[in-house]
Amino acid sequence: MDFKIKKGFDIALAGKPDVDIVNVKPSATVALYPLEFDGLRQRLKVAEGDVVKRGSELMEDKGNVDFKLRAPAAGKVVSVVRGARRFVEKIVIEVGDIDEAEEFKKFSADEIKSLDRKVILDQLTTTGFLSLIRQRPFSNMADANAKPKSIFVNAMNTGPFQADAEAVVVDDPQAFRAGLDLLTRLTDGSVHLCMSASTTGQTLKSAQNVELHTFSGPHPAGNTSVHISRIDPMGIHDVVWFVKAVDVVLLGRLFLDGTIPATRIISLGGPLVKEDARHHYRISAGGELSGLLQESLSDAESRLLNGDVLSGTIMEEDAYLRFGQSAITVIAEDKERQFLGWTMPGFNQYSFTRLLASSYLPFLKKKWNLGTNMHGEERALVLTGNYDKVVPLNIMTDFLVRAVLAGDTDEAISLGILETAPEDFALCDFICPSKVEVQSLIRQGLKDIEEEGI
Amino acid sequence: MKFILNMHDKVRHLFKKGGKLEAVGPIFDAADAFMFTPEHRTSGGAHIRDAVDIKRVMMTVIYALLPCFLFGIWNAGHQYNVVNAVVEAGNAFIASDVFAAAFLNDMIRGLIIMMPIIIVSYAVGGFWEVLFSCIRKHEINEGLLVSGFLFPLILPPTIPLWQVALGISFGIVIGKEVFGGTGMNIVNPALLSRAFLFFAYAKSMTGDVWVAHIANAAHVDAISGATPLGLLAEGGVSVTDAITSGQISFMDMFLGTIPGSIGETSTLACLIGAAVLLITGVASWRIMLAAVIGLLSTGYLANFIGHSPMAQLPPYYHLVAGGFAFGAVFMATDPVSAAATKAGKWIYGFLIGMLVIIVRVANAGFPEGVMLSILFMNLMAPLIDSFVVDFHVKRRMKRV
Repeated sequence: MDFKIKKGFDIALAGKPDVDIVNVKPSATVALYPLEFDGLRQRLKVAEGDVVKRGSELMEDKGNVDFKLRAPAAGKVVSVVRGARRFVEKIVIEVGDIDEAEEFKKFSADEIKSLDRKVILDQLTTTGFLSLIRQRPFSNMADANAKPKSIFVNAMNTGPFQADAEAVVVDDPQAFRAGLDLLTRLTDGSVHLCMSASTTGQTLKSAQNVELHTFSGPHPAGNTSVHISRIDPMGIHDVVWFVKAVDVVLLGRLFLDGTIPATRIISLGGPLVKEDARHHYRISAGGELSGLLQESLSDAESRLLNGDVLSGTIMEEDAYLRFGQSAITVIAEDKERQFLGWTMPGFNQYSFTRLLASSYLPFLKKKWNLGTNMHGEERALVLTGNYDKVVPLNIMTDFLVRAVLAGDTDEAISLGILETAPEDFALCDFICPSKVEVQSLIRQGLKDIEEEGI
Repeated sequence: MKFILNMHDKVRHLFKKGGKLEAVGPIFDAADAFMFTPEHRTSGGAHIRDAVDIKRVMMTVIYALLPCFLFGIWNAGHQYNVVNAVVEAGNAFIASDVFAAAFLNDMIRGLIIMMPIIIVSYAVGGFWEVLFSCIRKHEINEGLLVSGFLFPLILPPTIPLWQVALGISFGIVIGKEVFGGTGMNIVNPALLSRAFLFFAYAKSMTGDVWVAHIANAAHVDAISGATPLGLLAEGGVSVTDAITSGQISFMDMFLGTIPGSIGETSTLACLIGAAVLLITGVASWRIMLAAVIGLLSTGYLANFIGHSPMAQLPPYYHLVAGGFAFGAVFMATDPVSAAATKAGKWIYGFLIGMLVIIVRVANAGFPEGVMLSILFMNLMAPLIDSFVVDFHVKRRMKRV
């Protein structure tokens, strides 16, 4: 089906990555960040100096010993970095000369079509790849014991910027098809493949055994919450799984090869990335990013983000690729103070509203080099109904935010918080003149409800 | 401008925690943020942000008020000069043109009337705002920019300055700060200030107060101080008398060349302000439109069932009479005290328009009902929103 989303806003941010894929030479060291796996109770299974294969067990979950984190490459464990409360923050592996891989179960494309649900889930659990499949409500890792009503595959992205689903899928159509077949075995309901209305490639458009949907309109038309709400709205006790199309490729590879995929494809974009470096890159799983970034960034104080500018998290400079990461965005740290900024016409300022001169002269500047400046200070939240202009969900955003602020979880639930994820409110963060961080509030609200139970 | 910034940076540490002047830190922060946009950077949530903040929104409201403000100055001076029959040749040496001389004369007189009121309103309001910021250790909020400006515009030009000070104090402290400051208030602080004066010092707010007289002047016009609504409210004056032969036409009321509160007589100036607010999207068009619909429809209804001169007034006269235009454009749309849901805005606006007519027609004591209607609906707004939200929730439940 075709859905047209009206509410929302496309931020005219400079630095969109091209869809071509550039190969980066294999990394000398790789790393795994166990804290990325939410709810994992760490039990370290290696020590510094141990030699590991690609796919060897590095850590298991004390709460569910079948769930394991595996080495992204073969080599020697050179450091285990511990942080607060002795949690392991990072396990670094020096990549060896021989790429020896741990063997998991391997299936042909046809076998996958009739695989048993339990076999699939076991393999996903023991490799840690189950964490690529997420579950609503709360957007946690899928619970292998849950029965999802349906599974949503997100093959589009409207925010600035994420890896282009089509580019990644077209790179390995066989794995994508296998991945989709796997998903169809995991639910009694449907697998919904949601793509942009402007999708051209047949890999997505003629996918088999799944329901195809196209969405058009401004961001967040590409968000999974929007897809769920339009296609198959969730009841209060429903469970829905969702997965990014770029990750479906990895799932497919895992079962077709029987080994942990050694590479990932990520996008590198943002205003601070040099124009000729804005591409997709094939990079070692867990690989070093410093080499790639050194060549690609302009000279300016920058902020490095895992994900997009709206909901991404800050990465340190000498970072490695995260397990679930598919995009890097780089923007400028902007500390500039504008003289009499409250009354200057604002030719050089960007806004969703019509309060600045630039709002009336869109032809002056098509793409904006936006930085990290708040452009104001936090003020009291005023209920105006304006948030709803950028949230295309059947939700009264202002009142939902107020319910969360007041700690009224019942009200928050009846207003529909369980249908959402924090990312759906990223544009509220952006447009709010009171500079209220709506995403953080919703995240906290969801966490409170999860802890209290519904 | 770099040297100003350097200057600020040099003394900044004095006002920070542990500095000698920490207690008045908010004053420095406000001055600093006035000169230069704050340097805060995003730390959580979206990493990039819109360039618009509350300061910019508030300033836009001030800009939208300027036509009313400027016209109000002229009109206050003009009414004064007409009623007191001031000889307008006084400024003939500045402008050779007679009209230009008259205009200048009116503007100067208007400024003499208006500026003290504005200054007192901002100074006293500012004092409270700063005091509360210093005690509560938060930034000085921008809300006062608008409240301190709105309040003088809805006062009669003869208002004693001590009453201005008292009124704004009540509005800011009781109307706003006790609730936690800008954004937390329930009713519009400027309107509450006026309501306080209206009930506490009724003599300064009603009757013969709309034009300043020169003491013992010989040439005081018979209808000097009365507003059109005041004329109608006094029994015995028929609509035709008041409107047509009472020297006040629809056009006078539309343009605003009549006695009244300083900034609210001109519907035209309010319309210009409304255009600014609607084009920039600062104010809700739903509230404005709903208020007009509420006013007109109830006005027609009053024509059928009422017999008093006020009830028989053609409904469109209500649009230009009194403070309706000003109230609907600048007061009812205050996002803090108005309804926030879409349906709520329609209901809220409509009821304001309806109540204005009911007060004007049914209550002989109050010729004008805009202030009370808006204040009453400010109080009702959360209730309206609550109904709308409940309805929404029920509909959501049915969906799945």
